[in-house]
Amino acid sequence: MDGFLLVLWAVRLLFLGLIYLFLARVIRVLLRDLRAAAREPADRPGRLIVLESPGGEPTAGQSFGLDVITSLGRDVNNAIVIDDPFASADHAVLTYRGRDWFVEDLASKNGSYVNGRRVDGVAPMGFGDELQIGQVRMRLERALR
Amino acid sequence: MTSGAMHGVRTPALHRTFGPIRPRPRWLELRLLGLVALALAAGSVSLGATVTRRFGLYDAEGLLIYLGALFAAHAGQVLAGRRTDQILLPTVAMLGGISLLLMQRLPQDLVTQTFFGTTLDLAQVQLVWLLCALTVATTLGIVVRSDRWLRRYKYTWAAVGVGLLLLTFVFGTEVNGQRLTLQLGPLSGQPTELLKVILVVFLAGYLSENRALLVEQDTRIGPIRLPPLPYLAPMVAMWAIALGIVVIQRDLGAALLFFGVFLALLYVATGRVSLVIIGFVLFLLGSAVMAVLFDHIRTRIDIWIDPFADPLGSGFQVVQALHAFARGGLLGVGLGAGLPEIAGRPPIPEVHTDFPLAALGEELGILGVVAILGLYLVVVERGLRIGAAAADDFRALLAVGLALVIGVQAFIIAAGNLKVLPLTGVTLPFISYGGSSLLANAVVVGLLLALSDKGVEPPPPPRVGSRWRRVGRPRAD
Amino acid sequence: MLGSGIARAPLGRTTIHVAIVVSLAFAVLAGAAGYWGVVTAPELVRSPNDAAVIAAARTVPRGLILDRTGKALASNTSDANGEIHRVYAGRAISQVVGYASTIYGRAGLERAYDPELAGLAGDPLTDAFAKFGADRYDPKDLTLSLSLDLQKAAVAALGKHRGAVIMLDPKTGEVHALASTPTYDASAIADPLTARATFEALQRDPSQPLLPRATLGRYVPGSVFKIVTAVAGLGSGAITPESTFKQQPGTEKSGLLVDGYRVHDGHHPKTGSKALDLIGATEVSCNIYYALTGLQTGGAGLVAYANRMGFDSPLAFDLPTAVSQVTNGDGTMPGGFTDDVELANAAYGQAETFVTPLQMALVAATVANDGELMQPRLVTSMTGRHSGTKIIRPRTMGRVISMADARAINAAMVQAVEGLLGRQFTTGAKVPGITTAGKSGTAELGGTGEPHSWFIGFAPADDPKIVVAVLVEQAGRGAEVAAPIGGDLMTRYLKGAP
Repeated sequence: MDGFLLVLWAVRLLFLGLIYLFLARVIRVLLRDLRAAAREPADRPGRLIVLESPGGEPTAGQSFGLDVITSLGRDVNNAIVIDDPFASADHAVLTYRGRDWFVEDLASKNGSYVNGRRVDGVAPMGFGDELQIGQVRMRLERALR
Repeated sequence: MTSGAMHGVRTPALHRTFGPIRPRPRWLELRLLGLVALALAAGSVSLGATVTRRFGLYDAEGLLIYLGALFAAHAGQVLAGRRTDQILLPTVAMLGGISLLLMQRLPQDLVTQTFFGTTLDLAQVQLVWLLCALTVATTLGIVVRSDRWLRRYKYTWAAVGVGLLLLTFVFGTEVNGQRLTLQLGPLSGQPTELLKVILVVFLAGYLSENRALLVEQDTRIGPIRLPPLPYLAPMVAMWAIALGIVVIQRDLGAALLFFGVFLALLYVATGRVSLVIIGFVLFLLGSAVMAVLFDHIRTRIDIWIDPFADPLGSGFQVVQALHAFARGGLLGVGLGAGLPEIAGRPPIPEVHTDFPLAALGEELGILGVVAILGLYLVVVERGLRIGAAAADDFRALLAVGLALVIGVQAFIIAAGNLKVLPLTGVTLPFISYGGSSLLANAVVVGLLLALSDKGVEPPPPPRVGSRWRRVGRPRAD
Repeated sequence: MLGSGIARAPLGRTTIHVAIVVSLAFAVLAGAAGYWGVVTAPELVRSPNDAAVIAAARTVPRGLILDRTGKALASNTSDANGEIHRVYAGRAISQVVGYASTIYGRAGLERAYDPELAGLAGDPLTDAFAKFGADRYDPKDLTLSLSLDLQKAAVAALGKHRGAVIMLDPKTGEVHALASTPTYDASAIADPLTARATFEALQRDPSQPLLPRATLGRYVPGSVFKIVTAVAGLGSGAITPESTFKQQPGTEKSGLLVDGYRVHDGHHPKTGSKALDLIGATEVSCNIYYALTGLQTGGAGLVAYANRMGFDSPLAFDLPTAVSQVTNGDGTMPGGFTDDVELANAAYGQAETFVTPLQMALVAATVANDGELMQPRLVTSMTGRHSGTKIIRPRTMGRVISMADARAINAAMVQAVEGLLGRQFTTGAKVPGITTAGKSGTAELGGTGEPHSWFIGFAPADDPKIVVAVLVEQAGRGAEVAAPIGGDLMTRYLKGAP
């Protein structure tokens, strides 16, 4: 086997090897991602229960699992879509930091209300507090175990 | 936005629909693209050395244009700043690169197309389509922010799809006894490729809307519990129309693809195995009937069962493909060194459209084939993962459906190459030659990217022991 | 996962199920790829349909086939256009060497050794590494054990008859002659100009010239099968060389009653009231003695010893062979016989026994080689232009019977040729001046046809150098046609051409 062939086969095997290296890297990332995803559901920190929803979306009685950040608004890209004429496209954001919940109003036209009081920027929320966006009233609850 | 009483609370930045552009680095994607570039370069050098006996990139121009486009797409995504999936693009890029190398390696006169005066041959045409596909995928991934246009108008989409099919049936040009191609001036394409995306959009919309009903309410037919018929009916009708037209046009691969995706989405949405079993049984009955009625289907099945019965006649294509895998062995014979020519042509007919996997099997070996299958599996997994993480049912079903469209299609044609299933005319996504196939799959990838946007960054996890300053209750105005 | 609503939950689970199904499906594909690329690859790569084999054939000249003295049996010639095709050394070798035609494919050794002649390696391991080498195609020249002169003599001896002759060396298994008649002109098939006309005429010919009778013809053996029964009887211990059957002399005239069927003897001279032993019975070819031996050995024993000599499976040989059988195997008695009548008849070579001439040559070779059977071979070495010469060594098929038993049968077969009574059955089989052993056979076909004429033998009996098996279809008694052919050929081999 002459030298040229030796190098040629080395290159060919290198090509195959690099494809496998790529696959290995990708699979490593996939697995890490999947493991992280598997851990998430257990850490769900809270729920939002819809008390009243004249518009129908979200349906009254519906319960939303909340994540670390949950966006609310009329725009379909929000995690919780509130299809109410008095809700803005991007109305508010619920965040969970440390051990506390906060709601931030995103300069919405008609404002967000916690327990009847208008939210100015960011306000804390606790379990049992009511959040009103437009005509939709929701209550923050603990997560189901 | 924020007013006085807040101290030490960091407001998370929220992305807007058409807000300010916030470039975000995508290191993982960059590293993976780097690996892709290295691998493709090695492949090109091996091809060049095999053909010219000198070490150097084979068709360096083509490869560099392709790599340049890849990094441009990457740059585009970085600038757009969306937190979309970083694995999809490199994986698809690897598949596309392998396709480019394969098209460079095959005899260039398999395809010649004249675009406005310049004549392009196989590798160049494929490169052009790959670039278009990249553009489409990246653009969709950057621009598509809302899915309302898909979600709201599902019946319109369905109508468009059926309309496209009818158009092709009536006005299409015949190729090999099948009316699959529509010609518009210098461009010709296969609308059935786009139809698969439209079908998934319709199914995702319909199933997500009626999911609860399909899961919870039943009509009983004897011992079988079915979802309420009025709700099942439009779906079955839509599917039957598509299937019927496709079968009339003798595009069996597409029929198999639609059917597989339909059943899978039905299962994902409803979780009812009974539906899948019924569907499968219906399919077997249907194919038995069709095998009896239609000669060409029976021939296909005969060839599938024993292609060696007529190795020089009807079974020629499949036999040559299997021989290619045999010659390749574990490591393959090397890019460019396989496919010994018979009468100056590659031994496998239609190798650039129907049998690229066999050619790759001979040149890259079983290890190469397994790696390529792995790449498809990665794409499917990413799609499924995007679906599982999606914000609502429609997006979830859409992502799952799109992922399956690529995965099931790859499975069908790979199985045809390997005699696991009868041979059909579908293309191997991203690897087969064909502009419409590349574009349709690019739409799929683009939509998947758009759906994978993770939105806002989560705030950093609280450090143990730190004190958060309590925020006062909102004061009355 | 971000959620909305109760119905949300199952979607994650079903998605995982789909992921599992898809992964399994792709795993099946990977398995299929492994199947085609590794498991069935060795046989696919050598098939004549393989593109690489076809390409090799077109790129490099095919390897030569040579006889044992180096004479070319198959070589290449180019015609007026520069196209290369095969040419062969006469009609005598056609059934062995076969033909290689671009239209009609390959036959004979040209087919069996197609990959080697075309230039691909013989074994999969070397093939796997061949692609690492610079010279992809390395056609091999085959050297056979065949002797062109002997082969021509055998075909000439058969003349206008349909039949077969095999001559082999019992110590090594090398085949010196493998003749089948009628034969054909292989060069005319290989030449593209005359190929079509020749081949179609041959296919229409009712005498089936394309059939290699020596290896693929199956015939009723008649009395030559008695050697198999002797092997089984002695080997299993059912009889000894001195064993006699007291009922044998008395039933010479009337026939032996077996389960209501009468076993009649062939028309051998009266041996009076003397009970025959092995040598005596073989000398006069006594059906009754052998029927009784068969019954005494039992069906299982008969079949078992026959199988040790190659019955019931294709013989390991360079060319494809048909399977020889002692019985159909449909019956429920030991060995597959239907009843004792069938066993008795099979013991002297009638009933459902069918043998190939090559198989009978192996039976004689077993006895000649003192009970150990050597595997028959045609190809003795392969020489590649780049890879050197590879010698194929003799292989044994195993010990069938002890040396003592073989010598006993040897003595019996000598008597069958040299004895006063015996030579009437085997006229012309003796090689002048050399002790010759043999057995003739007259295979009755039932109905109105003439029986097949058989002869198997070897010489010199004390140190056998050559085994011969002759079959002439429907030529009458063994002594008339087959035995003289056998004798002439053995003489030619041992003493040179007249």
